[in-house]
Amino acid sequence: MHKIIHIARKEIMHIRRDVRSLFIAILMPLLMTFLYGYAINLDIKNIKLGVLDFDKSVESRELVTKYFSSGYFIPAESQVQLDDPERVLKLTDAHVVLVIKPGFAEALANRTEYQVGLLLDGADANLAAAAGNYAAAVFNQYLVSMLPPGMELPGVTMSHQVLYNPDLKSSHFFVPGLVGVILMMISALLTSITIAREKETGTLEQLLTSPVTPRQIIIGKVLPYIGLALFDGLLVYGFAILHFHVPMTGSNLLLFVFGVIYVIAALSIGVLISTLVKTQQLAMMAALTVTMLPSVMLSGFVFEIKNMPLFLQWVTSIIPAKYFILIIRGIMLKGSGIEVLWPQAAVLIVMTLVLLGIAAKKFKMKIG
Amino acid sequence: MRTILALVRKEFYQVFRDRNMLRMIFLMPMIQLLILGYAINVDVKNIRTAFYDYDNSSLSREYIRDFSSGGYFITTASDIPLPDVNEAFTENRFDAAIIIPEDFSENIYTGQGVTAGMIVDATNANSAAISMGYAGLITARFNSDYSALASPITMRQRLLYNPEAESVYYMVPGIVAVLLTMITVMLTSMAIVREREMGTLEQLMVTPISTPAFILGKTIPFAILGYIEMSIALAFGILWFNIPFAGSWLLLYGVAFVFLFTTLGVGMFISTVTGTQQQAMFFAWFFSIFAILTSGFFNPISNMPESVQYLTYLNPLRYFMAIVRGIMMKGAGVLELYRDIGSLVVFSLSIFTFAWMRFSKRVE
Repeated sequence: MHKIIHIARKEIMHIRRDVRSLFIAILMPLLMTFLYGYAINLDIKNIKLGVLDFDKSVESRELVTKYFSSGYFIPAESQVQLDDPERVLKLTDAHVVLVIKPGFAEALANRTEYQVGLLLDGADANLAAAAGNYAAAVFNQYLVSMLPPGMELPGVTMSHQVLYNPDLKSSHFFVPGLVGVILMMISALLTSITIAREKETGTLEQLLTSPVTPRQIIIGKVLPYIGLALFDGLLVYGFAILHFHVPMTGSNLLLFVFGVIYVIAALSIGVLISTLVKTQQLAMMAALTVTMLPSVMLSGFVFEIKNMPLFLQWVTSIIPAKYFILIIRGIMLKGSGIEVLWPQAAVLIVMTLVLLGIAAKKFKMKIG
Repeated sequence: MRTILALVRKEFYQVFRDRNMLRMIFLMPMIQLLILGYAINVDVKNIRTAFYDYDNSSLSREYIRDFSSGGYFITTASDIPLPDVNEAFTENRFDAAIIIPEDFSENIYTGQGVTAGMIVDATNANSAAISMGYAGLITARFNSDYSALASPITMRQRLLYNPEAESVYYMVPGIVAVLLTMITVMLTSMAIVREREMGTLEQLMVTPISTPAFILGKTIPFAILGYIEMSIALAFGILWFNIPFAGSWLLLYGVAFVFLFTTLGVGMFISTVTGTQQQAMFFAWFFSIFAILTSGFFNPISNMPESVQYLTYLNPLRYFMAIVRGIMMKGAGVLELYRDIGSLVVFSLSIFTFAWMRFSKRVE
């Protein structure tokens, strides 16, 4: 125990001496919180609409106004002298071009066949799908509003009840998930690099010839990073609560306990990587590929797992971040307790035990 | 010239001496493409929906069919009574519930109108908003089907550039740009700092190698590596995902060359402000995350708040991203892309010159 504390103290001195790394280790979560809290919003709005109105009637102008007042569309930069929709799409910043050929007002009055054209930039398929749907919806609304009085159809209207996040704030979705990503990032990446560093500079041998066991070295080296990771996690959590006003409907204690388990799992991955590589460069690339990328992309942090192909859904089940993100969102937004979250917690604990076991074995073998 | 070549060769020896590094360099782009190509899909589909049909008439069943046939909603059987429905949401059994009141068909036939209820789990605010949008659209269509007023005026939509609406066609060019950024910035900065950390920088400085030769010797290998990574990613994208390539290869590689000045410059700059590889990696990563998230890689820039939109103009990756996508998907040429290319050239040259000057000063 005494020796572990010495190793840990040495590692803390390393961290403290390296002010620039520490600075980034604290600044990085803040940058990510800012960007995910404000910049990333997958709900499509502000679609840039170019208009080619050849009808130039009161009705066609009304339709165009309807588009811009819908909240989904904003005008694209003006397209002087362009009358070919494909060229508008190519040469301006428009995502979508609405083409109203002559005869729109007439067709509307006489109820004759007529087609309004919409050309979409399909490059971003998601944007195009949303734009197409919104455009159709606005168009339908316009048609209904133009029906003669008394002919409107009562039909079905919908009332919505929005659970857990009534204001539909995407920061409530992203920022708690970010805690999971940040914890993984700090834990796995930093540990893999520090051990690789001792190897690269040859100081690992020196440590091993001293009367500390390999296990003590690992635990000692890893302890300070648990502290750093938890600090970063708390930082993001604090931002979530105080700045983004994400509700905390569940138990703080439960979240903290699961957080610690998750951090230990992440650290085990870091240790495992460091036993397999010799240089810091490689440690960094490996950590990035096997921990960071999956934690961001395959954990449900941004992209929903149920939309992925089946084989990738299987892959996601070995990603620790997936379980922690489910846990933190469940606790914070839904107020779920252990009776709902125990399966996720169980998976995390099993993962941690397995990872720790492999990492300890590999580390011993490598130096033995 | 000879010295530069020797330095380049030395750097390659160093990178490839480690078999694992070699594997990593080839595997990384493929893993990234596989993961990102399949995972990035912000289209909202498969919304698990429980239907509570208290009317149970042919009309209400028709309404439900409209929901389940569109591909967005999938019907999930629910054995949970409506009053306890919140429990099912907490347990994450479904994403939405739609409630049809018992007087549904009667009220429609008599023209009184009726309100159907929808409960959505908004844990994911984006998906929730989109699924409510879909529900509204389906309801509007249902309404027009059941009115005699079906309008003769219709809208015809046509998708340009990507008629099958495959999001992977859009993501792969983006991944190419991201890979090129991450690899070159990180490896360059770490390679230079490594010499300092190991103390070999002083040794190099006492040899008759000039500073420009040293800089070129340290950057050219990573420019080549960047090109290799980019080519692997492109080849894999085209062969595996069958993404079309509409534009000019020459233009793409030419613009990539310009962009490399940015990333190598940033890498060089980072090496002047850091002392250890860990720091260099951290700074490089900080830059990459900022660059990627504000480049429009997976959400359109026009969607960001205005203040952030202005910030994106300072991000060279933003221009490169637009150029790569323009060339590959739209077959755009210099005529369409001159603004982005111009901005990129200005950024690249100034960043590289600045980094070069700073580096030279540091060394002397």
